[in-house]
This record gives sequence, C-alpha cells and structure tokens, in this order.
Amino acid sequence: MNASQGTGAGGTRPANSARVVIVDDHAIFRSGLKADLDASIQVVGEAATVEQAIAVIAQQRPDVVLLDVHLPGGLGGGGREVIAGCAALLSTTRFLALSVSDAAEDVVAVIRAGARGYVTKTISGAEITDAVFRVAGGDAVFSPRLAGFVLDAFGTAPADIADDELDKLSARELEVMRLIARGYSYKEVAKELFISIKTVETHVSAVLRKLQLSSRHELTKWAAERRLL
Amino acid sequence: MTTLPVRPPLARSSDRVIAGVCSGLAAHLGWPVKSVRLGMVLASFAGGAGLVFYAWLWIMVPTADEAARRNARRPASPIAPAVSQPAQATSADDGTPAGAAGPVPDGAAVPPGAPWFRTHGMRYGKEILLGCGLLLVAGIMIAQLLGVDVSLGTLIPAAAVLGGASIAWMQLDDARRAGLVDKTRADQAGGWGRLAAGLALVVAGVLVMVSGSGSWEQTWLALLASVAVLGGVVLVLLPWALKFWRDLEAERAGRIRETERAEIAAHLHDSVLQTLALIQRRAGNEHDVVRLARAQERELRGWLFQDPGRESGQLSDRIRAVAGEVEDLLGNAVEVVTVGDAAMTEAHEALVQASREAMLNASRHGGGTVSVYLEASDGQAEIFIKDRGPGFELGDVPADRLGVRESIIGRMKRHGGSAAILSTDHGTEVRLRLPAAAEHVEGK
Repeated sequence: MNASQGTGAGGTRPANSARVVIVDDHAIFRSGLKADLDASIQVVGEAATVEQAIAVIAQQRPDVVLLDVHLPGGLGGGGREVIAGCAALLSTTRFLALSVSDAAEDVVAVIRAGARGYVTKTISGAEITDAVFRVAGGDAVFSPRLAGFVLDAFGTAPADIADDELDKLSARELEVMRLIARGYSYKEVAKELFISIKTVETHVSAVLRKLQLSSRHELTKWAAERRLL
Repeated sequence: MTTLPVRPPLARSSDRVIAGVCSGLAAHLGWPVKSVRLGMVLASFAGGAGLVFYAWLWIMVPTADEAARRNARRPASPIAPAVSQPAQATSADDGTPAGAAGPVPDGAAVPPGAPWFRTHGMRYGKEILLGCGLLLVAGIMIAQLLGVDVSLGTLIPAAAVLGGASIAWMQLDDARRAGLVDKTRADQAGGWGRLAAGLALVVAGVLVMVSGSGSWEQTWLALLASVAVLGGVVLVLLPWALKFWRDLEAERAGRIRETERAEIAAHLHDSVLQTLALIQRRAGNEHDVVRLARAQERELRGWLFQDPGRESGQLSDRIRAVAGEVEDLLGNAVEVVTVGDAAMTEAHEALVQASREAMLNASRHGGGTVSVYLEASDGQAEIFIKDRGPGFELGDVPADRLGVRESIIGRMKRHGGSAAILSTDHGTEVRLRLPAAAEHVEGK
C-alpha cells in the first residue's frame, strides 16, 4: 500500500503519531518490527502471551495493537482470544492482525473476532506503518489475500435488491475487493474506479463490517468447510 | 524351543472335493493328497472318527484366502512388531529396557523372533490340548463300548468346564493379538460372545458338579458365596485393570503422536534444514538468500496448509506452480490470490502458459513483487498479472520480440480468449480472459 492517506479519516486519530502495542510470541520478530516501524509510531508495550497481551493493552490503552494470530497461553484461542478479552476497549483500540499463516480459518476468525485488518508478516516497514495509521483512523486494511478470501466467501456475483444487505457485497464493493485482490493500492483503486480514496475506504469498511457481522448461510457453510466457526 | 520344520501353513486349498480339507492337510504334511483322502475315508468307518476330524478341520482351518489376509494384517515395517509387543515381553526376552530406543532397525529385527515362537507355541499347545481332549473322549467312548462303567454324571460337567475354559482362553489369546493389530468392532463383539459362552459353560458345569454331591439349598448358598467372593475380587482388581487399560491407551496415543512427530521431523529435515544450510553458505548473496527463503516458504506452506480433501491439478494449482517457477527463476516474489477454481482443459493450459509469460515479463521488467489474481467461475476464467515497474508501450516493442505479441496475446486469441495489457508509469497489468465456451470452439 502506498503512503498514508491522512485526509481526516476519523476523529479518534492523533495527528501524526500512533501508540502501538506489539503482541507476538517471537522476541526476534517483535524487535525487528519495532526497528522497521516509522519514527512516528510509538511502541508503548509488548506482549508474548494471551494473558500478557490483555494486561498490557488494558493498562496502556494503545491506538493500535499489532496482533499475531497464533499466540501461546489463554485457552488456546490465540489472537482471537486477546480481542475477546479486550472487548470493552474496541471503540478506542483497534486491532491489526499480523500473521505468517495463509490459512483462511486463521485470517477470517481473527477478523470476525473484531480485528480491523490483516496483513502478512513479510510486508515492509513502510507498508506496515501505513496500515497502522489506516487502522488507527478507523479504516480497514485488506491485503490482497484477505480480499481473495472475502470474494471466495461471499461469492463473486453482485447482490440482488431482495437480499439481506449483510449477506452480499454490492457491485461497487465487489469491484473494490477485486482490485485489491489484484494488488491495487487504495489510491490505484480510486483512480481506476474514478472515485475518491475516502470512498474506497468507506467501501472497504463496509465489507469489513459485513465480514464481521454476516450470518449469511453461504458464509457459514464456507467457514464450516474450512473449520472456521 | 526346538526348530520346527518349515511347512506351508495349514489352510484349506482351492483344490477340493468337499471343502479342501484333505488337500490342505496333504500340502501341510507333505503327504500325497490321495493317501490323505483315503485315510480320511477309512477313518470315517472307525466310528465316524474321520468325519468328526474332517468337520473339525473344516471349521477350524481357514481357507487359503483367509490365511493370506490374516498374514497381510501382520505389520510389514520392522518397527511395528517391536512396538506392538507388550513391554514386559521385550524386556524379559532380550534384556534391554523397554523404553530404550537403540538403533531401531537392528534392535527391532531380533525381538520379533521370540514372541513369534511364543504365539506359535501357544497355538500348537491349544491344538494339542484339544487333541488330547478328543482322544480322551474317544477313549472313554471305547471304554464304554467295551463295557466299563463310566459315570456320565461327572464326565459331562467336567467336559463343560474344560470346554468353557478353553473357549475363554482362546478368546483371551485372540483378543490380545487382534486388539494390538486392529480393533474392529466385529472382532470385539465376537470376543465378548465367546467369553460369555465360555463363562456360562464353566459356571453351568461347576454348578452341575457341585449340585450332584449336595442339596440344592447348599448349592445356592455356595453360589451366593462365590458371587460375593468374585465381587470382592473384581472390586479389588478393577482399579488396577482400569489403570492398566488407561496406560495401554496412553501408550497407543503416544505412539501415534510419536509417528506424527517423526513425520514432521523428517519433513523439516529434508526441506527446512537443508535450505537453512544453503542460506548460510550463500549468506553473502542477498538475491540468492531471498530466493531460497521464498522457495522454502512456498514449499512449507504447501505442506502445512494444503487441503487434503481438495483434488489437486486444478487451474489454481497450476497457476501457483507456474508462479513458483517464475519466483525461482528470477528471484522476485510472485503473490498469488485465487478465487474459485476450474478443472484443467487444453485452453486452460494455454491460459497458464500465457500467464507464465506475463509473470516472467512482470518479474523481469517490473523488478518487484508481482501480484497475480485468478478468478475462475462457471462462465470464465480471468487472470490479472500486475507489477510496479516503469511500464512500457506495446508499440515500442520491436517486431521481432515475440514474448508479448505471440506468447500472450496470440496464444489467448488462438484459444478463444482475450488479452489486454495496460501499462502506466506506475506499473503494468496484463489481463487474460478465457470464456468457458472457448474450449468447445477451440477443442481440436
């Protein structure tokens, strides 16, 4: 994703900095990530297990939590359990899932638990910085792979009018998801569809909401096939 | 134990007059079939002994097919017999501690000999026992025929007790073997049935024997007392038996886990460790390191996250494989996202080849991560290949360079599809589209 698009995306976001907690059980990865992040991002805490994470997040109240999907401790729920444990803070603290895992169940489970986005651990420091600011501003961050999962789960046909609005993606949302899956940045999506970046962000957030809230029959079936729910 | 002469196993052969018993017996003993058959017929006139013997063999001896199946069930691996023996047998027989691993193939090759003879010995012992019993019965019958008075009142209960006990013991022996080899419900049900039958026979026999010497009331009291004693014994032994059973289950689970662990270790050794060694040797060359790491990551992901229920060889698999080739060849990451899937056809193969060409171009000229997106549905298959290079103008490409014109655009057209190339200063995107109907048009 390209440089941060900071055009008043949300009132909760501090102007030029973000307070971040990094939750990952690999100390090497945590220190590497800290070094990679932009200077405008302040790492206020680190945690390696589910219990530590919940404690640190409750104490620090960061803007964004960079959350590994797989974590030791707790009941074995990993990142999902951390989000559930911090449910009361969800309005002020945003979760961005980080994972080396490609598996649909890992990704979608943590998103449905309440994470605002998902990126793979191999992305660069600049990209992750951008993603942090985006999430801090209340937007959703979709990697091409997550967009692919969404298209797979919701199907690639646009919604009929009669359908429950949560159960299908609109034609516009589908277009946005397709372009993201094709590797377009938000800026490129906006240019391709002749809409503003703000509108792109709105569409992506709407898709995220549907992904989190939909109880759609096919989604459940799709998830069950992949042992998600 | 003396060495046994090597004989073909006793099995009813398919060369048969009635049930293949005689020819099987002949093959087992190494005698001519005719003389065995003649002997059997002659023995039949001796009070029907031959008939009884024949019937007994008919029931007890498996057919050649069954015998083969039973042999096939024996574990083939040299490790398996060693682990499926009871622990104490191992430690007693060859003196090594049960837990000691040692060099597995060698260590495991020795112990199978010992229990193998044991089972053999036991099986023969059982048969000898049965033979003795039958001879005894025959002797008693002859004695009766000759006028000696033998009281049937004591003989029948005694026979019942003996018979019941042997049935129960057979079951014990079988159950142990079957339980360790495989645990099918049918086997277990049969085992319980036999145990119950044996128990019933023994109890009935004992009852008749005891009641013959005393009043019914006494017998009743004795029965009550023995039930109480049995209850006590069960009460004492039950926790021990349960613990033993649980240990056995735990050991079984542990063995499964151990096998899994060994498989994972073998995989990691063959792939990840080798790659890490390579990376250390090439540490100076960043390009090689990245390429090795990517290739290993791809391999490991394929192993970890593959969906075993899904059939392979679909369009998405081919695209992933091609993307892997391009990664290996040029070193730039190729990220593949797929939605839907389709079975491979000739036209799809052309689509794969065209996208391979596009990926190669994107990786070579784009110089960064290449994004590949495949969307396949019933109607059509679409592939988008995007890079972030400086872009190019199709008109500027020299006429003799066939990469884009022939391998991508021409190939897609020949197979009823279409290709579009969109290039800007911020990157190039190749769009390939193949309608499902195309394969019928361009089938031949």
